[in-house]
Amino acid sequence: MAEKQRFVIKDLKKKFNNNIVLDGIDLTINEGDVLGVIGPSGTGKSTLLRCINQLEVPESGSIEIGESQIDLSNAKKSNLKNVTQLRQRTGMVFQRFNLFQKKTALENVMEGLITVQKKSKDEARKIALKELDRVGMTQWANHYPKHLSGGQQQRVAIARVLAMKPDLILMDEPTSALDPELVGEVLETIKQLAEEGHTMILVSHEMAFIRKVATRCIFLDHGKIVEDGTPKEVFTAPTQERTRDFLKKMSLLEEPDYVI
Amino acid sequence: MTGKIFDFKLVFTQIPDLLKYLPVTMELAIASTVFGMLLGLLIAIIKIKKVKVLDKLATFYVSLVRGTPVLVQLYIAYFGVPMLLKYINQQTGSDLKVAAIPGFVYAVLALGFNQSAFDAEVFRAALLSVDKGQHEAAAAIGMTGWQSLRRIIIPEALSVALPSLGNSFINAIKGTSLAFTCAVVEMTAEGKILSGRNYRYFEVYVSLAIIYWAITILFEKILKFVEKKISVPEQVEQIRPEELESLRNQKSRAYAAKKNHNGLGGELAWQKNRGLS
Repeated sequence: MAEKQRFVIKDLKKKFNNNIVLDGIDLTINEGDVLGVIGPSGTGKSTLLRCINQLEVPESGSIEIGESQIDLSNAKKSNLKNVTQLRQRTGMVFQRFNLFQKKTALENVMEGLITVQKKSKDEARKIALKELDRVGMTQWANHYPKHLSGGQQQRVAIARVLAMKPDLILMDEPTSALDPELVGEVLETIKQLAEEGHTMILVSHEMAFIRKVATRCIFLDHGKIVEDGTPKEVFTAPTQERTRDFLKKMSLLEEPDYVI
Repeated sequence: MTGKIFDFKLVFTQIPDLLKYLPVTMELAIASTVFGMLLGLLIAIIKIKKVKVLDKLATFYVSLVRGTPVLVQLYIAYFGVPMLLKYINQQTGSDLKVAAIPGFVYAVLALGFNQSAFDAEVFRAALLSVDKGQHEAAAAIGMTGWQSLRRIIIPEALSVALPSLGNSFINAIKGTSLAFTCAVVEMTAEGKILSGRNYRYFEVYVSLAIIYWAITILFEKILKFVEKKISVPEQVEQIRPEELESLRNQKSRAYAAKKNHNGLGGELAWQKNRGLS
């Protein structure tokens, strides 16, 4: 990444049947941004991420990465290469980890390197072990997902994403499916990534965490960006009534114990 | 003829004679199973992907095959297909050597078609049982649909399908006893021939029952073994520091030779499949 990358999302619209989920999202993400996305359930936070990497196809919208501009609404039909390119430049961490069940932690991380990036096995293994090391999972390299706790699985999933060297990491509620005592280890890992300067979009209900780690925060409601600013601005001095209501409901005045 | 009502000894002494035709039985079973599974997998994918027209055709085909007895299917294959070919010869002036097609081919086709209808349902259920998240994870790292199917989805579905596929194979073995309808001499047909000489029909059927039963037990055991082999192990020991060190410096070849006692079996299998080791 020689020059600064920018991701420019324009006019992203998505509806499921007649239910409008994203109602014209315009969003620019600069390299090194950690963008926290907050908002009530069902406002399209996850859908936003899933449209970016084409797990969902939106009705309209485009994304500009550096030089290339990709039409998100018909990339699958018009140019499959674009989809592949998009997916190679983004990495996704899922709420339910989605590790490959019949592969060990090591094989999970190696898979994309071998099949997508066409690296040799030795090279892939080397990279995979390095990434597992980074998330503190090397000792479990030979374990299958079912042997691992939720937090451990999520750390392997993060290593799987990191190994692919994506320009943009999409985190879709990475701690929502975890037992409370396991949330900390995953947040620690994400914080580490933020400090290393990875560009991320983090959808999460861990408000206190977003407040600490994010460089920028948006509040999404009814498919629109309602509030956009630094976490401090959004959390302490929201300009919109809806944001205030939401924060009040989340009773964000008290900080949870496991904040790191 | 000894005049005994039931010649107990004969039941066992004629088993070796019958076993001479075991290879024919197994060839029939294996060939029709392979054919049936491939076709079944294809049908399952067509139905899951809801391919236009083919999808409807597949449903019709499965219903037809499942709704008719194997014996009838065998007769249709053996008598119907040559008639059709002869008709084609007559109409187009082509010169298909209909008489040269051995009965074995008809038997394999009929038994295979029969199995495919059942296997299609097995595969369909198994493929649908794989969590959607697995597809998404594969897609999200940039794998193509085919790559994710081949490397992630099918291996997982296979674990689910294996017990039923094993059943299907065992049914196929027993189903071969009907291949005489296509003039194939396999074990059961040979039994009939043998007993035609000494009129000991009952004995020969008991012998055959014993053989089929034994084969079935054998394959059930093999199946159990394979199931265990491809399933994720119950527990895996943590890697010791020295093992980790050797893993870091491992070259694929040396690694493959080491075998999988450290629980990295899956990776070895890939290396073999991909010819990398």
